[in-house]
Amino acid sequence: MNRVKLIGAFIRRRPLTWGFHALTLALGVAVLTAVLALNAGLSGRFQRDLGGIDLVVGAKGSPLQLIMSAVFQLDQPTGNIPLPVVRMLAGNRLVQRAVPVSLGDNVGGFRIVGTSTQYPQIYDARLAAGRWWSAPMEAVVGAQANRSLRFSVGQAFVGDHGLARGGETHRDSPYRVVGVLAPTGAVIDRLVLTDTASVWKVHERETLEHLQALNAGKPPDPNDINRSPGGREVTAVLVKYRSAMGALMLPRYVAAMPNLQAASPAVETAHLTTLLGTGAEVLRAFAVGLLALSAVGFFVALYAAVSQRRRELALLRTLGARPSLLFALVTLEGLALGLTGGVAGIALGRAAAVFAAHAASRGGGPSLPLPPIGGPDLMVLAGALLLSLLAALAPGFVAYRTRPAAALGAG
Amino acid sequence: MLAVESLVAGYGRHRLARLGRLEVGPGQAALLLGPSGSGKTTLLLAIAGLADVLEGTVRIDGVDVAGLRGAARDRFRGRAIGFVFQDLHLIAGLSTLDNVLLAPFAIGARQDRRRALALLEELGLAARARRPAETLSRGEAQRAAIARAMLLEPKLILADEPTASLDDETCRRVADLLGRAAAETGAALVIATHDLRLRERFEVCVSAEPVGAQAPVS
Repeated sequence: MNRVKLIGAFIRRRPLTWGFHALTLALGVAVLTAVLALNAGLSGRFQRDLGGIDLVVGAKGSPLQLIMSAVFQLDQPTGNIPLPVVRMLAGNRLVQRAVPVSLGDNVGGFRIVGTSTQYPQIYDARLAAGRWWSAPMEAVVGAQANRSLRFSVGQAFVGDHGLARGGETHRDSPYRVVGVLAPTGAVIDRLVLTDTASVWKVHERETLEHLQALNAGKPPDPNDINRSPGGREVTAVLVKYRSAMGALMLPRYVAAMPNLQAASPAVETAHLTTLLGTGAEVLRAFAVGLLALSAVGFFVALYAAVSQRRRELALLRTLGARPSLLFALVTLEGLALGLTGGVAGIALGRAAAVFAAHAASRGGGPSLPLPPIGGPDLMVLAGALLLSLLAALAPGFVAYRTRPAAALGAG
Repeated sequence: MLAVESLVAGYGRHRLARLGRLEVGPGQAALLLGPSGSGKTTLLLAIAGLADVLEGTVRIDGVDVAGLRGAARDRFRGRAIGFVFQDLHLIAGLSTLDNVLLAPFAIGARQDRRRALALLEELGLAARARRPAETLSRGEAQRAAIARAMLLEPKLILADEPTASLDDETCRRVADLLGRAAAETGAALVIATHDLRLRERFEVCVSAEPVGAQAPVS
C-alpha cells in the first residue's frame, strides 16, 4: 500500500473524466512544443542555408523574392543579370567570394543549379561518391535529391524546363552524373549542381532567338553592361564580404548600377521571421489559452473529486492519517495528471512537428531540422506541472480541512 | 483499556453529547446506547480525538488523548484505535488486502502483509484478498474493515452502528466477530448503537445523552 496505488485507484475510478482533463492539457502542451520545435527548425534552417552569404545580387524586383529564390531555392527568380556582373563582383577588393547561381530547369522537381565549384564550399559539402564537375553538362546530385532520384555516377538524365515538375523536356542536352553529395542539412541537399555553362548550353537556342528579336535594328553598344557577349547571363550572385567594409560600400555600389539590386539575407530573413512570427504568436497565445482552460478544468475536477471522496478522506483520518497526507494525495493526483498530460502533449506536439516538417519538405519546401527534445520542452513540461499544482492547491486545502465528524454525519 | 469520566463532547463551543462514566478493560466490551441523533458518533469521535473533549477526561491505556497535539494525536489514534462503521468500509479501486494495509499506511507504520493475509483468512476472506474492494458484498467489506481494525493490535476498537439494517442472524454474527476481535487483540470494545438486539450479547451499557437531557445511566 502506498500513495501511488491510492491515487491510481482514485484516477482509475473516473477514467473518462481524468482522460478528458489530461487531454486538454496535452493539447495545450502539444501546440506549444510543436511551435517551439518548428520555430527552432526554421531558424536552424535559415542559419544553415545562409551559410556565409552576406549579400545577394540579382535582377530588380522584390528583395525577399530574390533571397527566397537564390538562397533558399523556394521562389521564382526575379530575372537574370549579365555575366560581367559576376566578374566585376569577384574582382572587387571588398569581396572575398562571389558565387554565380543560374536557375531554369529541374529534374524530378529538384532544381538544376548552374554555378561554380565555390557553391558547395558555402555549405562545406562533401562528395559521397564520384567527383566534382569539370566540364559543362556534368552534374553533382545533392543527398536529398538523390534519395528520390536514385541516380548513380555515370548515369545520364535530361532536365525539364522550369523550376517545378512537368515542363518541356530538354531532350537534346542530356546531363551526366559525375558525383553525389553527402547530406549537409542545408539547401544544397535538394539541388542538382552543374556548371554555369551547362545552363547556357541547354538554353542556347532559345536565348539566341530571344536576343535577336530584342536587339533587332539596334547597333551593339560595347559599354552596355546589360549586353554581355552572346547574351550570357546568370540569375544571381551570392557574395561574401572580405571585411565589414563590404557591408557599408557594396550595397550602394550595386544599387547604383542599372537593373541590379542587392539584397541582404539577414535583413530579409529577419523580415520573414517577423511575418511568420505573427502566426507563431497567435498559435502560442492559443496554446496558453488552452493551458489556462485545462488548469481551470483540473481545479473543477479535483474539487468535485474531493467532495465526492469526503467520506473516504474521513475514513483515512480515523485511521490516523494526518491532514497533510490528505493534502498531499490531492496535489499528487494533480501532478500525476499534469505529468501524464504534459508527456502526452510533448509526444503529440513532436509528432505534429515531425509531420509538418515532413509535409513541408515533401511539398518542395525546405526540410526542417527539428532540434532534439530538450530544454524548451522540459520548460513547457515544468510549466504544465506548475499549473496542475496550482490548480490542486485549493482542492488540496479542502481535503486538508476534512472534518470526519461532518463526513460521518455527526454534526 | 478505556476510561471515560464525565465526558462532554462537541466542536468548539457546540456541546453536543454527554457520557457519564465508562470503563472498559482489555478484551471487554461495552455498548454505547442512544437513539439516532443522541450524539453517539460525536462521543466516539471525541474518544478518538476527532471531536473536542469539552469537559471530563478520556484515557486510553492511560493516555489522555485530548492532551496530545496534531500529528501525535493522529499517530496515537492510528496505533491505538481501530474503527468499524456501518457502511463506510473500503476504498473502491484498491484490493481488499490494500484496504486492510491502509491502517499502517495512514500512520506510516510497517505494513505486515503476512499478518493482514492471516487476518483476512481468519475472517473467511482469503479468496477475496486480491480482489478489488468494490466486488465484495457488504458483509465481506465489513469483515475486511474488522480485519483492518485488528491489524495493528489496538487498545480500543470503536464500532459505530455496525449492525444497523442487518437481519437478526447477520447481526448476531457481526456482534460475535467484534467480540472475538476484541478478545483476540486484547482491545477494549465500544459499540455505539441504537440496535437493542445487541443488549442480549453485551452486558455493560451506557447511554449517550444529548446535552441538556438528563437520561439515567442504565
